[in-house]
Amino acid sequence: VNPRLPLLLLLAALGPARAAAPIEVISPRADSVSVTIYRDLFALVTETRTVDLPDGPVKLSFDGVVETLLPASAVVADTGRVLDEANFDYEQLTPGSLFRRSVGREILLTRTMRGSGKVVQVPATIVSATDDGVVIRTRDGNEALHCSGIPEQVTFEKIPDELQQRPRLSVLLARGAAGRRTVRVSYLAHGFAWKSDYVGRLTRPNRMDLQGWLTLRNLTNTSFAGAQVQVVAGRLNLLDVEDRGTSVIGAIGSYQSEQGLNDVRAEALEEIREEQAEAEEDYDGYPQLLSGCYPMGPHDLRRSYEMQTITTGIQGFGGGDGDELSEIMVTGMRASMAVKESLADYQLYRLPWPTDLQARQTKQALFLDKRAVKVERFYSWSLDALDYQAIDDLESPLLKLGLENRKSSGLGEPLPEGVLRLFEPGAMGELFSGEDTLYDTAVNEDVELTLAGAVDLSLDIRIDSDSARKEKDGNNVTLANAEIMIANAKGVPVTVEIRQTLHRYIANAQVVRANHRTLRKHGDYAWRLRVPANTADTLTFRLRWEEIVED
Amino acid sequence: MRRILWCLAMVPAAALAADTPADREISLTIYNKGIALIEHVRQISAPAGRQRIEFAGVSAQIAPETVSFIAPSVELIEQNFDYDLLTPAKLMEKAVGSKVRLIRVNPATGAETAEVAEVLSTVGGTVLRIGTRIEVLREDSLPARVIFDKVPDNLRAQPTLSVLVNASKPVNETARLTYLSRGLDWNADYVAVFDEAKGESSMQGWITLQNQSGTTFVNARAQLVAGDVNLVNGEEGYWEYQRQRRNANQRAVGVESTARAQLGDYYLYPIKQLTTIANNQTKQVSFLDAAGVKTSKGYEVTFHGFESRDQPESAEVRMRFANSTAAGLGEQLPSGVVRVYVRDARGQPQFVGEDHIGHTSAGSELALKIGDAFDVSVLPTLVATRPVNRRSYEYDMSYLLRNARSTPVVVTLRQDGLWRQNEVLKESVKGRRTDADSFAWDITVPANGASSLTVTLRNSW
Repeated sequence: VNPRLPLLLLLAALGPARAAAPIEVISPRADSVSVTIYRDLFALVTETRTVDLPDGPVKLSFDGVVETLLPASAVVADTGRVLDEANFDYEQLTPGSLFRRSVGREILLTRTMRGSGKVVQVPATIVSATDDGVVIRTRDGNEALHCSGIPEQVTFEKIPDELQQRPRLSVLLARGAAGRRTVRVSYLAHGFAWKSDYVGRLTRPNRMDLQGWLTLRNLTNTSFAGAQVQVVAGRLNLLDVEDRGTSVIGAIGSYQSEQGLNDVRAEALEEIREEQAEAEEDYDGYPQLLSGCYPMGPHDLRRSYEMQTITTGIQGFGGGDGDELSEIMVTGMRASMAVKESLADYQLYRLPWPTDLQARQTKQALFLDKRAVKVERFYSWSLDALDYQAIDDLESPLLKLGLENRKSSGLGEPLPEGVLRLFEPGAMGELFSGEDTLYDTAVNEDVELTLAGAVDLSLDIRIDSDSARKEKDGNNVTLANAEIMIANAKGVPVTVEIRQTLHRYIANAQVVRANHRTLRKHGDYAWRLRVPANTADTLTFRLRWEEIVED
Repeated sequence: MRRILWCLAMVPAAALAADTPADREISLTIYNKGIALIEHVRQISAPAGRQRIEFAGVSAQIAPETVSFIAPSVELIEQNFDYDLLTPAKLMEKAVGSKVRLIRVNPATGAETAEVAEVLSTVGGTVLRIGTRIEVLREDSLPARVIFDKVPDNLRAQPTLSVLVNASKPVNETARLTYLSRGLDWNADYVAVFDEAKGESSMQGWITLQNQSGTTFVNARAQLVAGDVNLVNGEEGYWEYQRQRRNANQRAVGVESTARAQLGDYYLYPIKQLTTIANNQTKQVSFLDAAGVKTSKGYEVTFHGFESRDQPESAEVRMRFANSTAAGLGEQLPSGVVRVYVRDARGQPQFVGEDHIGHTSAGSELALKIGDAFDVSVLPTLVATRPVNRRSYEYDMSYLLRNARSTPVVVTLRQDGLWRQNEVLKESVKGRRTDADSFAWDITVPANGASSLTVTLRNSW
């Protein structure tokens, strides 16, 4: 006979409708898992789990979800039942939480006398457990734990229900037909990242082999076996976690420049790694017990604890260096590349084979492998007319790599943002000739990267200008004469581009005269000169414009 | 002074520690401003006279000044909220001037010697008087247990509310305790799965409740209130209010009413059955489930000045829908975050972006920003600037719109940030004025192709 039954009936009569207690069904692990990693330090995890549901109301718990789960994003589908509520209450089982959650519970206290080894066991109740120590009640009265100098070992009867070894998501399901079902659980979780990197190898002066690599990172403590892994390239609108969004690096819309966003991502990634390394260092071999005593003699708690440790022969768990935990695995091979598909307005790259994505692991895979992509290696220098007074400068232009992302140029693939590093053959083997960030580039867009400052190539720029106030409207009319000598001390011919920047403060701009053909490039005037090896050439032009002075 | 014992109602053994009194009923009304109104109904039985009643298990973030205690036959004298936590150091400190028992243990033999000691001081060490001797506790570092016979009333394992009452006769009745508490909050979270081909989406709304109050509420009746309650709590309240009011994604305001229960200017979302809200728990309850909501996608680009770019500007992707009955979603939407999913080639929903919505009345039109299109972009070029006079200029702009998708798209291109007087002198595609200082053009860009727009604008002040 259940002695609580009459009371239960009484309460049922008093209170509002109380549903029958649901039966708990625990799904210990996922059958299969898919991880979609985004650039902004999170991933979408989608799990399928097979569960046997009884016909009554069910509390269905999913064990082993990722600890960084964003509860607001959790979706449980295909249960075939009405979902009453979903709960995520992960409080990790630690020595401290074990004490804190055991307030009011009975424990067994074992005291060992240091000299004689005599053991005394007494039942006790935990009266209070705070960061500043634990108070227990024994048959003698109230005492502070670990303050008497006698080695004391607390034995707990059970782990409080609130504490879990593994993070758990649970849902309450209404009654429905009993049977086996395959349910889908999906959620966003922090602590994942990916980026792309490009390696370009010049094979001929205007041809480059281009490989693109995905670098995936799992910074969480969860390992995924045989996971379907994909990454999403593109810029998602994301809100700050403080505003209940997904982004740990602030609202994505608040970043004006892609470079700024990149820097913040990299910093955030570094911070996560540092925090993890620190957390590992903080653990110094002592369990994190709630510790604190009243003031006493010359002994400090740590030392008395140390003595206990020595007498009882328990040594600290020698933690390894943080770096040992991470593993770098390169899985790229020519034969097996990530497969691209378009997802909404983004690009999705899928690793076509199931892969083990371990906790704290970095993994790389090839997603682009193109041979003989047409490129142009040239040198460039920009001039802004607003700076013209009288210029007599010696400059060295910038080395640029231009490519057209088209099929006809041997490319024509979406290029997710990443750093391109260019290598070229040299007399002593391969040389690194510079790197630059390649921003998200769609098919048919053009790319221009700045790789380095030029060596053995200089510009001698001489400009003199006359300004005259225009009678009618008062804008300054300027006539500038430019003479730019390009000296190529290299043993190879080079292409040099000189750009004359135009913008809204320059009106009625006009090239009056030039000794080379004048081109337009992104609104600017431009000239391109092919300068043979070990020679010099000179560009001269005369520019007329009016400077706008806004009132 | 006697203590009253609570009549213990049965609670699931899992949720509470053994000596925590239980509520017969507990009701929570949670506002989405991090505040909740909590009502405990408890059975009290007490003899006549002046006595103290303790309410363990109240929210640790209780606002004591908002407490109201109602029991018909008792008179309230005073109420206290004690949050002096019981720690070894506090226990010793409160024992100054009183007696403790000191049990010394011989480390070799384990033999115990008990003495009574008076605690004299706890500053910089514990000083004890034992008989006529004065000693510092454990100066010799040898083991010594200190036993306290009782724990002072105001030292607690958890923050506790107590009321001092006077009962004219023995009572056995129901008492109500209500108060406001911080640490409880809720927000709406929406999951929209968008099917572009069908031009519709399925939309689920979840109330996400967070309990950071430090207390677990067992079998509570809960309701959630949507609306902007003004709270006098310094600048934070005001700005929070402003932030929630701002609703840039709303394109048209709705005027439809719904069947949703209302309380003044607030909407109520009751949770159907009794629910246990554990401390540190995030709980989600469904309140909206709609399929076949008419949804379209749009591309938008806005330029704020006249300039050339080397890098094209990606088009913003917006998801447009209305929460009207006609569009398949006749519900007002409390403020929250909408997360949008699109199915990949294998049919699995993938996350594609999120946006915030404010409290949105039914029948409104929304255009949520999802992200930037990888494959749709606009490259602006300032071709020429011509002054008309010192207060008036003409700009020739040319825009190259590219689409690397396999379907044609329409891009709404906006040029804004214009001066007081402005007009379009020439345009290659017919556009429209969108407001006093902006114009817009809808440009169709073919699949895997490009379109261009050239515009001459006069801008004056």
